[in-house]
Amino acid sequence: MKQKIYISGMHSGQNPCSGVGIARCIRRAFPHLTLIGVDHWQGSSGLHDASIDDVFLLPQWSQMDNERHSKQVRDLLDQDHLWISALDMEVYWFSEKLGPHKNLLAPGGPALELTAKPAVKAFEGMNFRVPEFISATLSDSEVHSFLRRNSWQCWLKSPYHDAKRIQSWSTFERSRESMSKTWKTSRLFIQRHIMGNEETYAFAAYQGVLLSAVHLEKRQLTPEGKTWAGRVTPVKAELFEEIKEVIRRLEWSGGGEIEFVRDPDGQKWIIECNPRFPAWIFGAALTGTNLPAKLVSKIWDLPLLESVSKYNFFTRVVQEIPAQESVGIPLPPDPNSMVWSSDGKKGKGGPAPGSLPRLRSATGIKNDEDDDEESPLLFEPEAVPTPLIAEIEKITRSFMGETPTRIHLEEWTQSKFSGLEAKLRECRLRSPEVRIGYSLKTSPTDDYLRKAKQAGFYAECISQKEIRRALGFGYLPSEVILNGPGKFWPITTPPVLGLHMLFCDSMDEFERVIQISGFSKCIGFRVRLPKLNSRFGNPLSEFDNFKRIVDGVKKLKGKADLGFHFHMPSWSIGVERWSQALESLFIWCQTFEKLTNAPVKRIDLGGGFFPSDLQSLDLKNIQSMVSSELAHVEAIYFEPGRSLTQDGEILVSRVLDVRRRPDGELLEIVVDACVAELPLAQAYSHRIFFCKKDKRENQRLELLKKGHVRVLGRICMEDDILSNGLDFPDSVDVGDFVVFGDAGGYERSMSYVFGRG
Amino acid sequence: MFSDAVNKDIKPGRYALVQDLVEKEEHFHRWIEHPSSSILHHEASCCEEARLWFLAYARSMEIGAPSQFNIKAPTWLSDLFTWGPTEWPISWCQLVREDVVDCGVFAALAREVFKASGLQAHPAQALLSYNETCTRHWRDLWKVGSSDKKQKSDRETFPWIGSEIVYHELCVLEGPDGEAKVYDSTWGNWYLPQPRIGFGALLALRTECPRLLRWGGKTMSCGEWIEL
Repeated sequence: MKQKIYISGMHSGQNPCSGVGIARCIRRAFPHLTLIGVDHWQGSSGLHDASIDDVFLLPQWSQMDNERHSKQVRDLLDQDHLWISALDMEVYWFSEKLGPHKNLLAPGGPALELTAKPAVKAFEGMNFRVPEFISATLSDSEVHSFLRRNSWQCWLKSPYHDAKRIQSWSTFERSRESMSKTWKTSRLFIQRHIMGNEETYAFAAYQGVLLSAVHLEKRQLTPEGKTWAGRVTPVKAELFEEIKEVIRRLEWSGGGEIEFVRDPDGQKWIIECNPRFPAWIFGAALTGTNLPAKLVSKIWDLPLLESVSKYNFFTRVVQEIPAQESVGIPLPPDPNSMVWSSDGKKGKGGPAPGSLPRLRSATGIKNDEDDDEESPLLFEPEAVPTPLIAEIEKITRSFMGETPTRIHLEEWTQSKFSGLEAKLRECRLRSPEVRIGYSLKTSPTDDYLRKAKQAGFYAECISQKEIRRALGFGYLPSEVILNGPGKFWPITTPPVLGLHMLFCDSMDEFERVIQISGFSKCIGFRVRLPKLNSRFGNPLSEFDNFKRIVDGVKKLKGKADLGFHFHMPSWSIGVERWSQALESLFIWCQTFEKLTNAPVKRIDLGGGFFPSDLQSLDLKNIQSMVSSELAHVEAIYFEPGRSLTQDGEILVSRVLDVRRRPDGELLEIVVDACVAELPLAQAYSHRIFFCKKDKRENQRLELLKKGHVRVLGRICMEDDILSNGLDFPDSVDVGDFVVFGDAGGYERSMSYVFGRG
Repeated sequence: MFSDAVNKDIKPGRYALVQDLVEKEEHFHRWIEHPSSSILHHEASCCEEARLWFLAYARSMEIGAPSQFNIKAPTWLSDLFTWGPTEWPISWCQLVREDVVDCGVFAALAREVFKASGLQAHPAQALLSYNETCTRHWRDLWKVGSSDKKQKSDRETFPWIGSEIVYHELCVLEGPDGEAKVYDSTWGNWYLPQPRIGFGALLALRTECPRLLRWGGKTMSCGEWIEL
């Protein structure tokens, strides 16, 4: 027979298309027919499958000319070749661009409209119910209400493909954003999840005549919800008649699949109707119903012989097959394109290794806890500095007051400020000079401001209010650095002039700033480096923004010194990336200098250092780097806040309750501190210490290791969990002390009064 | 002629195959005689601003990027631009306002990035095998893209598409040991020297590296096409 069957959608990965299954079905029934595998990607694995005779590789969809493609497919169909589409999107494309054809085995526009999600109207009256749904474009409050009413057990779905389980508002917002981008549609909807077993009816039809239909009960699913094993039976006669009537009305041609969930009461809830054969279709052929073959047999009037299996189940396996040289395997991508591309996993796919943890328990291999010997460390952890622990111990031993209480560690904090001051002194003989702007917002207490002033640090402010606080403390305007997006707040008072340095957060702000005469000795630009995600600063990733800065620098000439500011907290991006970002900043500064002939006089490298990272920062090396890369820079600025103050305070708390299992094993403890005093409890790695109430005199303070005992706060809020697991001594009792280290910085400035009557 | 330009140190069977294929192509003279693409600089601030912005941007894109063969390849180029027709000649100041560029631009930009990182990067041109269905679609894509742009200028696109062979531009990196690495900056892949026939196979390659380079079992000399 010279006619060929073109089968599209050949990729057989963890979320397989049905092309390979269709080809295997037809090959099994008609070994002599010529099957052509169609796809748009060289990596489509099914193109190497033995079931096909040849390959029709098309360019990616974005590179296709619609008119040419529809004409080419029409020519093939006119020559009496068949085209079986196994791609939902291609079926939609055909209905729009090609229209019906007797040899095109895909449903047409009206059928697609009537089977569209979520209502799937075509099957009304067939004893299906449709799970409640709403459009995801409704107002957030309406969506929130829907999700609440359905106990946060819902699915966010695109009208074409894809579904994400929604169990919280944050997952909804993230999924809505990503699905809208992926599918380039705002027509997303949210549908109630139905508890029950997944089943489907798959069918083959030709020009409105239902040829055959089977019923699949899914027995095993992949983590993506794809069928891995199941039981296939012919649909019952009564149901067959009902489907037949619908298919007649829809004038359906090709394969199809009605997916539904059967709830525990037996009610069928329709999920969707796919306009193609399902990927497991060869499983049905193995059990005795070969739907694609029935379709071909009907169209080409070929005799079909089927044998029914006694055991009507199928399962999938993963197997390797030789690759075809003529198709080729895609070239290896550069590692740059792979970083984080799989969410840190080596790859997804296949059924979850759910049994592996159980196997681990059953092997009799002793538990890690039983190991006395610890594995050798490839990384030397940071020890708690002796002076720090000594001061905490001293305070805890003599502490008698009410808890929770935040206590300032004067000696430790003084050593931090003095240490940094001494580091600066060491840098004095070199140029450019290194200056510190103490970040007021982090912890604006008198004590810290006094220490900062005594150490000769400038005051780094983010508002007029903060400037006035600094001035009130004795700072001069010429000792103030102004940053952030809210420099003019409150706008009801005129801004303080004569500042030391000011960095504009946007070019629009810059245009306002340069109108104010004598605002600041140095005016600069906070820049947002490409690749580093931030809401702050002037983005350099767009040429037009860059050009605006170039023009701004030219305008600045003669009015103020030029500076650049970048602030990416090393504690969040890592020290190595921070260093690479610094080198990148040098290139940008050189670029601005070259293009404007304006020398960069000041560089502000911001703050956000982890306490120990600031201590180990090689300031002399940074001086050398700056002086060799940017010859005109007179001063380099750092703006520490957290790194100077975070570990300078502790929060002393007492145990309120000790909860144990019936066998006595420790489960949870409740302390009298809470998230109101430690608002970043879940976002920062606090060092937590323990001390018995009655043995404080001769007991060493114990730094608690990771364990299984949760530490709960005192307030009635679900998220008031201060630690997810610590290794408490079994003797822990009500009234014992739990001391939270690293309770300064933002833990102080962002803390709030709650539940105190 | 391709046969004049090609290195004769190859298996006669494969050479003849490629030669037959290539010589059937309408534009093969232009392909084999075409110098590799380069981006025009107006020697004025318009182009200098654009070029320096691009190089600084490239440096930022290397933050946190891993390297292969101690090379940080600019895989991000395909996020910055979409592959499609470019009208030549193109200058830096035009380029930074484009969303769509061809492989010649991708290769020229990648060379700039590699050179700025201190690597020895050279232009390379390739002939790749595809099927007629693909080449027809690409021709249509180019026709539509070019006519869109034509309304704005009288420059023209390069006829890189044959019937079963296409012309493509790549980047060759010269290692200190004379070993070449071949990078496709349009799609972010490294070509392997193992020969293959079929869809997307690299049939012939030419580099403008002024020194002899080894690539797998092949030796590449400046300006000479080698068949793979």
